[in-house]
Amino acid sequence: MPFRYLPDIALADIAFEAVSGSVNGLFESSALALSDIMVDPKTVRQGTTRKVKISSDDLDTLLYDFLTEIIVLKDVDSLLFSEAKVRVTADHRSLEATMKGEPIDRERQVLRNDVKAVTMHMFGVRHDHDRWKATVVLDI
Amino acid sequence: MPNIDSFRQISDVVWEVPTSYKQGMLVPARIYATKKLLEAMDAGVIEQVTNLACLPGIVRNAYAMADAHWGYGFPIGGVAAFDTESGVISPGGVGFEINCGMRLIRTNLSFPEVKSRVRELVDLMFRLVPAGVGVKGTLRITESQFEEVMRYGVKWCAENGLAWADDPSHVEEGGFIKGADPSKVSRQARSRGIDQLGTLGSGNHYLEIQVVDPSRFFEPELARHFGIVEEDQVVVMVHCGSRGFGHQVGSDYLRVFDGAMKRYGISVRDRELACAPFSSKEGKDYYGAMVCAANMAFTNRQVIVQKIREAFSQVFHRDAEALDMHLIYDVCHNVAKVEKHTYDGVNAEVLVHRKGATRSYGPGHHDIPTPYRSIGQPVIIGGSMETGSYLLVGTSKAMEDTFGSTAHGSGRTMSRTAAKREVRGAELQRKMLERGIYVKSATMDGLAEEAGMAYKDISEVVETMDIAGISKKVVALRPVGNIKG
Repeated sequence: MPFRYLPDIALADIAFEAVSGSVNGLFESSALALSDIMVDPKTVRQGTTRKVKISSDDLDTLLYDFLTEIIVLKDVDSLLFSEAKVRVTADHRSLEATMKGEPIDRERQVLRNDVKAVTMHMFGVRHDHDRWKATVVLDI
Repeated sequence: MPNIDSFRQISDVVWEVPTSYKQGMLVPARIYATKKLLEAMDAGVIEQVTNLACLPGIVRNAYAMADAHWGYGFPIGGVAAFDTESGVISPGGVGFEINCGMRLIRTNLSFPEVKSRVRELVDLMFRLVPAGVGVKGTLRITESQFEEVMRYGVKWCAENGLAWADDPSHVEEGGFIKGADPSKVSRQARSRGIDQLGTLGSGNHYLEIQVVDPSRFFEPELARHFGIVEEDQVVVMVHCGSRGFGHQVGSDYLRVFDGAMKRYGISVRDRELACAPFSSKEGKDYYGAMVCAANMAFTNRQVIVQKIREAFSQVFHRDAEALDMHLIYDVCHNVAKVEKHTYDGVNAEVLVHRKGATRSYGPGHHDIPTPYRSIGQPVIIGGSMETGSYLLVGTSKAMEDTFGSTAHGSGRTMSRTAAKREVRGAELQRKMLERGIYVKSATMDGLAEEAGMAYKDISEVVETMDIAGISKKVVALRPVGNIKG
């Protein structure tokens, strides 16, 4: 499983740890974790493709901004995603992502929590023995 | 359980953590709690309230109210006032959900009149008030109108047919906080917020039909001032805030302050306590944007109330005015405001941060609506959907002791993930119905997460603040119908 929930980290909100062998995979896992918190991804079809480009100061901020953009797309364009393909540049300051999903459908999709923000609580990306890990706490 | 050996017990319900507790503390921390509540508080509360006491320009004390639990930077239930010249402003001291707050509307209906119509009312309000993931409101406004909302809140509503004449005066700060600066609000925040007016959101936000509990009708004479005159009177409570708009403002400025602190020579023990001098450009910019979000939240609750009035009118075939659906009051519980207070013999403006804490002004204050001014400001403290809520009144002691601040709710004791392991939403819904509470939720997971057992005992929280003399119990309100996002 590319991510796991951390039940004892946040009382009022939801926390997860994403893991991958690559930076690209870590960003994809984190996007999936965020989506999983908002909707059962099995109920999200992939009829809509959205390209996302982000530039930030460092890898931590890049992930923060990427996840924030997914939240913004949910609120502004009413989109939810069940797939993310991410390419992070070698300097870890930019990314391009192809997100696949569809507009929110309350009748068919199994909706879960309305995520409102990425917090900085325990937030961070780290490289640990060939594994990339990210800890993220989301404000619900 | 926190180690309280070094705490000084001021009274049965007030504890002081001295400045010697932690290096860098500029003022003591004061915790409002019975010994039982204090011993049950997570250690994070003590850590955070003592970190808070280290922030530049803090005056008198850092406070944790009886419902405190750890949050991001400030504890939830945290209060701190800062000198406006030398002090800081901190987004963590406001919370992401800027001006999350409570609104209470009365009716002249009794429970026997409403009992058989609760399901119909809840189902109708569920259709009229969007709740849940990514919902959009039905109010369509232009960007220019949205800027007016940011500036004038409920005053804008009154000028645009979305409020009754006396609604603005029954909202904290008269329905809008002065000092909004829409130019300091990002494009992302505007895009998120413009379509969210009149929406409930999710998490612990709700809309609830309640009934005066005759067994806990503490001060009938005070209640009369608020228009609560019968033992089984029906009221409606709304709990929500600035939605994605406020969250984006919080996110935007947390990043700005994270970078700005070094420039101002500020270091904090917790990254989420990121702050800047209130007098700095960054501080002023955040304040201007935060006020925009606060005014948007007042407007959000106002638009929701108009829908509630519409629902009751439709079900009971009478105008909402004929049902006396006037606003009792609307309070913020996540905000930073410039207020005038007297402390240590000085009467001065301070920047009061209330994060998961409610203003509790005592009798005579000019910001209290005229009908209530002689008795104090209404204080609305929300409980879980199973336990109900309380209406209280502010006190002079609150003005003396806590910069006019009190608790805001129950406070969580269990994480969302843990709550879902303990209870199934559908089962909880069924059990609540058996107990006479009809709940409609956008998701069953969301319902399970909000089970009563995930929260502190609100009665103990309210009792603590009453014993402390900070807010006086007026009446308990038991839930009969609830909508969750």
